[in-house]
Amino acid sequence: MAQDAPGAVGARLSPKLDEASLIRAVQRGDQDAFEQLVRAYDQSVLRLAVNLLRSQEDARDVFQEAFLRVFRSIDSFRFDCSFHTWLYRIVTNICLDYLRKRKVRKEEPAVVDTPEGPLDRMDDFQEEAAHADPERNMWNRQLGQRIEGALGGLTPRERMVFELRHYQGLRLRNIGEILGTSEEAAKNCLFRATQKMRAVLGDFQ
Amino acid sequence: MNCESVTKLIPLYFYGELPPEEEDRLEQHLDTCPACARQAESQRALSAALDRREMQPSAALLAECRHDLMRAVYRHEAPVVRTAGLNPRVASVPHWGGFAAWLPSLGAWRMPLGASALLALGFVAARLTAPGAAGPFTTAGLTPDNAILSVRSVQPAREGAQSGEVQIVLDETRRRVISGQMNDTNIQRLMLAAAHDESNPGMRWESVDLLKGHSDSSPVRELLLNRVAEDPNPGVRLKALDGLKTYTGDPEVRKVLAEVLTNDDNPGVRIAVVDALTAHADDKMVGFLQGVVEKEDNTYVRRRCVKALQDMNASVGTF
Repeated sequence: MAQDAPGAVGARLSPKLDEASLIRAVQRGDQDAFEQLVRAYDQSVLRLAVNLLRSQEDARDVFQEAFLRVFRSIDSFRFDCSFHTWLYRIVTNICLDYLRKRKVRKEEPAVVDTPEGPLDRMDDFQEEAAHADPERNMWNRQLGQRIEGALGGLTPRERMVFELRHYQGLRLRNIGEILGTSEEAAKNCLFRATQKMRAVLGDFQ
Repeated sequence: MNCESVTKLIPLYFYGELPPEEEDRLEQHLDTCPACARQAESQRALSAALDRREMQPSAALLAECRHDLMRAVYRHEAPVVRTAGLNPRVASVPHWGGFAAWLPSLGAWRMPLGASALLALGFVAARLTAPGAAGPFTTAGLTPDNAILSVRSVQPAREGAQSGEVQIVLDETRRRVISGQMNDTNIQRLMLAAAHDESNPGMRWESVDLLKGHSDSSPVRELLLNRVAEDPNPGVRLKALDGLKTYTGDPEVRKVLAEVLTNDDNPGVRIAVVDALTAHADDKMVGFLQGVVEKEDNTYVRRRCVKALQDMNASVGTF
């Protein structure tokens, strides 16, 4: 029953180089090593940004900004924590900034109403959904709207903890480390997030 | 364990965050308490609903992100040489552009780039620069600003030498700035050599970017065709393709692009090739694109081909 995805996020490094050697090579200025390091993590970073921000454009910006920050500050990485944690601190900080800015300007919803009915701006991601039957599509769209509403009701921090636990499969201890807080605080955040979502989604589940 | 504490623990239980003893106690409670069991079921249903909303970024989006990132990194990182008029006697430290100020901690990146640049330019540069006076080194002269040194060998003291003496053989690469107009043949030859440097995708990208504005020159066009088909870096391939856009009506160019569309492993490049090929209406493309639609794995590339066929009023499939 428990959902844990060890290795769902993390490096797919060439067997030639372990991660520490790769990072040291990047610190020495090895371009290929930087590209290899990016490729080890970039899919999970992009997936986090896409799921969290539900906007391809914003996800692209986060991707670029995060890895440029890595590129710029890799010299300051001192192996005090795992590279994954260090990278995710950068990524989550950028994403939290985006979420907070959206809160201020009252969120751009992923599902918008049009004269032809509700339209999910993220439909391009769900290529196969186009072939599903129309009734199920309609149900999915309505559920999608409710989920967007439920996720929109979370604070940026609750949203982040939930995303990292549910979609990225990270342990709460690791999430606390990434967000600069305790495991206990991450647990409370996850509890509040799930309670809020269950309250909003209710009968739709 | 009471219902209030169980309510709080259900999400942690669901995500496998409870210690085994606590998990056992909670499961015992769920077995005997229908209200809490319903809450656990509600948590499971919530999770299943959220799973259906998970988005997987497409391969094309990932490829674009990677391309944009490497472009941003390499564009600023490669050396910039900006001096009017070819002057082989100019010898100074290279001009690194604005990126040095933007990335103050990246000193380590600059040296290997300069080194590989010179290695790539090799024999051509030698013809353009005055021979240097390579005298014997002393340790005081080991780090001149415009030289890159590497140790080739370290030998033990020769017989009769002073105790503790060693002999070190150094390879020295001198850094010089060559500047000139892009239409100068010698400059073009240097650029063509740089565009082939296997060790430095940033320099290849920068060279192709500069050369693509001169695709009316036949050697440059040949280079662009070679890079779009052969370069290991998709960013360089896309840049080369960009330079060929005005020649997509040329049968030779179309032939190479068709091969790229068939063989390139990067969907972003394949999409760009479809766009380039279909920019020129050509009925011969119909059968080829229909074949791509049949074999193509990537949905975005397939869609682009389908759209191109529809724009040509051709059927999508073969009958």
